[in-house]
Parts: sequence; structure tokens; C-alpha cells
Amino acid sequence: MTPESSHRSASLPVNDTARRGPKVAIALGAVALLSAVALLSRGASEEGGKPEASQAAAPQPSSTGPSASKGGPAGQNAPVQAESKPQQFNTTVCWEDLERFNESVTLETFREWARPLLAVKDPLVLDYLKARLGELIGDDAGRASEVLDWAREASPAEFKLFMGGLRGSKALPKMAARLTELGLDEKMDLGRRAGFLDELQRMPRLEPAALDKLATFAQDAASGEAGWVTTRAIGRVMKEDFKKSGNFKPYLDKLLTISSQSADEQVRYLAAEMGMDADAPLDTKATERLGKLLATEGSEDVRMMAAHELSMSEDKAQALELYGKNFQIEKELCVRWALFRFAARTAGKDALPVMADMAMTDPRFQGIYQEFEKLYASGIVDFDRIWFSLPTDDPFGCLDRHEE
Amino acid sequence: MTRAFLRMNVLPTLTLTVCLLAPALASARQSASSEAPALQPTTCSVEGLMDSIRRGMKSRSEAYKLYLRTLLRESAVNLPRAELQAAFEREYDPVMVEHLAAALVARTERGLEDDAFQVVAKRALEDRDPGLRAATVRAMRRTGALGRSGEMFERLVRDPSPEVRMEAATNLVEDTHYVYGGHHGPAADTAVSAAAASDDPKVTAKVLGQLMTGEISSDSARKLERLLGSDSAEVRAAASTALGGVPVAEMANARQSLTGMYRDEKDPTVRKAILQSIARLGFSGAVPELQRLRAVDPSMTSEIDSWIRVLNMNHQDWSLILREKQRQQQAR
Repeated sequence: MTPESSHRSASLPVNDTARRGPKVAIALGAVALLSAVALLSRGASEEGGKPEASQAAAPQPSSTGPSASKGGPAGQNAPVQAESKPQQFNTTVCWEDLERFNESVTLETFREWARPLLAVKDPLVLDYLKARLGELIGDDAGRASEVLDWAREASPAEFKLFMGGLRGSKALPKMAARLTELGLDEKMDLGRRAGFLDELQRMPRLEPAALDKLATFAQDAASGEAGWVTTRAIGRVMKEDFKKSGNFKPYLDKLLTISSQSADEQVRYLAAEMGMDADAPLDTKATERLGKLLATEGSEDVRMMAAHELSMSEDKAQALELYGKNFQIEKELCVRWALFRFAARTAGKDALPVMADMAMTDPRFQGIYQEFEKLYASGIVDFDRIWFSLPTDDPFGCLDRHEE
Repeated sequence: MTRAFLRMNVLPTLTLTVCLLAPALASARQSASSEAPALQPTTCSVEGLMDSIRRGMKSRSEAYKLYLRTLLRESAVNLPRAELQAAFEREYDPVMVEHLAAALVARTERGLEDDAFQVVAKRALEDRDPGLRAATVRAMRRTGALGRSGEMFERLVRDPSPEVRMEAATNLVEDTHYVYGGHHGPAADTAVSAAAASDDPKVTAKVLGQLMTGEISSDSARKLERLLGSDSAEVRAAASTALGGVPVAEMANARQSLTGMYRDEKDPTVRKAILQSIARLGFSGAVPELQRLRAVDPSMTSEIDSWIRVLNMNHQDWSLILREKQRQQQAR
């Protein structure tokens, strides 16, 4: 759980993807902005593992049940039954001969046979087509490459289908080089390139040469949304590679560069967020770079995210010093609040002296300081429990700023 | 005689005809299959869907099977309830029972009728065939079943069939985690009660070993403490793990129970689970206690030292501490 989550009544994150949701959506609204971009819906539509069908076809797929993220589950103390008003449900369609399609379709016939089905826009059928294409591709990089060739010229709906099929295939992890090549191919429009680049987020690793090229592309403001999805892909691959093999430094180095060099504020923010999201430890040099970002970055949002990322510093004393120093020069209340609470996430009760100094500098923090002090004195040791035990997680009205 | 003669001779002739025609039929089928099937939209019916699913289950395509399963569940709210229920009640194939049960549960989940769920719950508890009870339990997985009938789970975990008991345990684990997000006190309390009610150590251990206990009641915390005295090592280990995550108000008691138990515990797996929970309940503040425990069992010294090293890094998030511990283990 991170302080970016706005409502403590909502569930804690149950997985990495869910965890990213509230951070992004609440803390910045960057996703809200970018989700409107059509190209992103091509590549990142299964965010959170939620099939598109369940979003489009049915009001509430039964598989999700009473999701805690929607403000509390229907528990023993809550009414399970919905209010008694007439309910409208989308009708489903049964397709005669889909069975024959399924048994007879091959990779060679898929594109032609799928076209009429694609046109009817049945979300369940769309999901099926993607999954079936994934089966037809299987583990075969040659077949995956063929589908990527189709995607170069495909209509938007077909593009989405082909990329969805590739995503579900076992060959996907083998396609990093090809996807990078297509994504950086200047002959294609940026929207299509973004679709290819977005798929890189599911790669197990990125080779150094590709990472160099991708980072250069991502930090170029002219790359637009394609730069944004590339930044996200670098971050997600870092997280995966770190988890599996402990490797994160080359990615983190690029993300820190993007977060300080890009002319696009949303991209700088995302680069800082991806570093934080992977919980990648920061060595002295990385900590220094973040300190510099905190002191020089013009956007409040990016500074807040940098304050969060700084809590992963391995040298707690170095981080606490940076929190204290930047609190003094910081003018914005919400950034100060981020510096204050993330100091606690960095060093727990050892951060209290620094937090006390902050409260001396800015008396508005005295009340919340006393809360932290009281909670640590009660024997609570971890930041999650501290955070959930505070009387409010938003003492300065910072969480609503982006909802206005 | 004549009749017998005819009977004797017709069969070979027919066989011959079929054999001669077979290549032609195969080629016709092949030619048909190279053409795109003309797909016609039709209204979904219970009978039609059942036929499709029955045939589809033989398909090698998991994509198609998943499509049919989803189609039935998504169609459930628009199908006649009585027909759906009748199909469920007369069905004895476990796969079909599971699909139909999921469709009935979907109706309740969408707010149509509470009793559609009850029909399924009744069969999960009462059907004579354990395979069908297990299938019905699976159909309720990742739904709001836990909130609708906690008592049902306490009965399911005592089912005579180990298969049914384990399916119920899986539901408890997945429902508390995926449906309730792991942070819903009453759901976690239901899971603790069910785990404690089961006589099957595997079931109790499965539920408690993965449960998030940050919001449980004092009553549940006491149940966990009692389970530390179980005869089964796997239950003691799981209860120890569960006690590591209890709410603030229960932390002191949990720490005391675990530390007290460590000295008499002989099983190394349980001891490791206890050490982990002591670390979790105290973070860097647990270091002095861990140092005291070093003398109890020399075979645990390296495990304790590993915890002390990690806790001294002063991380403030349990996930970071756990990750660091795993990293050290891998490096060894």
C-alpha cells in the first residue's frame, strides 16, 4: 500500500497490477488523460487482467463478484442483493457454426475468416478470436512474425485483434527484437508504432542495445504517447526482470534519465512512478539523482512522485537528509506532505527527528506529526499499519486536486 | 433362409459402399472446411447452449471452451430461470454441472434472485456424488459466496470427501484474496472459522497459510492461537504464519504466543514459520528477541542470523523485507 491510494476503506492492492491502478489514477490522472488515446486501447486494454469482454458485454461479470475496490465488498454485514429496480442486461448472441470455425480455422485462413466476426463487435467473440489466434501462433516465432506483418497494414480493429492474439501466444517473449524494430520504424505512423511498443511491457527482459534505443525514443517529446507507453514498458520489464533475476540497474538508470530529461511532464512523471512501482533499491548515485530531481523539477506532481521513489534509498540517512533539505526549499504544501510521509516510509520511527524539524518549519504539520509520533510509540512498526491507523490519509486535501 | 441370406450379405455390401465413399466424403469435408463458415447470429437458449458446450468440451481449443463457458455465464441473466435450474438439477456430468451452477450463481451475483445461489449451495452440500459436490463448489469460486453463506463453508470443509474439502479451501483462499481484496475483516473471520472447523490438516493449513489476517477479530486471533497447539505440524506452521499479520491490537498477544511456543517446538518448518512471524510483528524491533532465540536451537542459527541481517536494513514494508530475505536465500 502506498500513500497514493486515496481511500483506506478500499482494499489494499492484491497484486502488482491492482496496486498500480490507484496510484496512477488517483495521484495524477495521467492514465485518465492517456486512456482516451485510441492507440493505447490497442495495446493496454487488458490492464489488470480484466478481459475486455467483461467491460463491454456485461454490467458486472460474475467472476469479479463484489469487488472490494468498488468501495467495500458485500460482506456479511452488507446487503448482498442489489436494490429492487428493474435490471437491464446486455443480450448475448449465439453464433451458429462457430464450432466449425473453431475446428477448421488455420493461421492461413484466420484473417479472412475472422473479418466478418470482427465486424459484428461481439465482445465475447472478440476475446475468443484473440485467444484462438494465440493458439494458432503457439510457440512459433515465425508465425508470430507473420501476424506482426499483418499488423503493419491492418485496420485499427484488426490491429487490436492481432496484437491481442500475439499477447496470448507462447511465442510472445521471443518477439522483443521484432517489436522494437517495428515500434521504432519511422515509416509507420506513431499510433501504430505505439501499439507495437506497448507490447514490449510483457517481455522478460530488454537487451542493452534495445534499451538504449527505446530510452532515447521515450525521452524525445516528439514521440508523444508512443514515448509514454515505451516508458511504461521499460518500467514493467524492469519489475519483471528484477523479480526473476535481480537485474534492474540498467532500466532504473534509463528511467532516472527520462524523469529528468524528457520535455513531456507526463512522461517524466511516469518514469519516476515506474521506478517507484518496482520497489527497486536506490544506491547512493541514484539517490543523488533523485535529490537533484526534487530540487530542480518544475512540476509538483513529478516532485511528489520523486519523493515517493526516494523512500527506496538504501542509505536511509542520505535519504532523510534529502527529505529534510528539500522540505525547507519546497513551497507547495502537497509536495511537503509527500516529503513528510515518505520520510516515515523510508526509516520508520528513525525518521521522527527529521519529521519534527519539518513540523517546526511548517506548523501546519504539527498535528499530523503528533499522530505519527503516537502511533510509533504504540508499538506499530510497519508503514502500512501506520498509514492505516492515521485519522486521515489526506490531512491537506491533496488527493482531490486532480479530480477537479 | 432367404432372410438370413440377405442379412448376411447386406452388411458387407454396406461396408464396401461406405469404404468406397469415404475418401469422397473426406474430400468434400476438406473442401467445405477451407471455406469460411457462414456464421449466423441466433438467440441463445438453454438447450442450444448445453448442446454446444457438450460438443465443445471435446475440442482441443481451450479458447473455444473458455468462450462457451463465458457465453453461458454471461447469457444466464437472459435465459429462463426455470429452464436453467431444471437443466442443472437433471445434469450429472461434472463439467456440465459446474457450468450450469456458475450460470445460476451469476444470476444472483447480478442481483436477480438470491435463491438461485441457494439452489447451487444446496447441491454443493447435499448431492450424493462427491465429484458433483466438488464441481458445484468450484462454480462458486471468486464470487460473493463467502458473504452469502459463511456457514456453508464450515460444513464444506468437513465434507466426507477430501476433494470437496480441498475445493472449499481453495474457494476460501481465492475469495478472500480476489473478491474481498484481502482486507475485509468479516470475510477473513469466516475463513478462520472454517479453517478451525475442519478436521483435515491440509485444509486448515491451506486456508491459514495464505490468509491475510490484518483485519481479523480478537475472536479469530484466539482461534489462531489455539491452533498453535494442533497435533499437525502443517497446521501449527500455517497458524504461526497467519498470526504474523494480525491487527495492531492483537500484535502483542501474537508475539507472546509465538515466542513462548518456539522453545518447545521441534519441527523445523514450524520453527521457521514462527521466526518469520516474529520478524513480521516486530521489524527491526524484533532483533533482540531473535538474538535471544539463537541459543534455543543451533540448527536455526543461520536462519535467525539471516532475519537479523535483513531486519537491520530497516525496511518499513513487509514486502520489501520478505523480498530481501528471499534474495539472501537465493544467494546462499
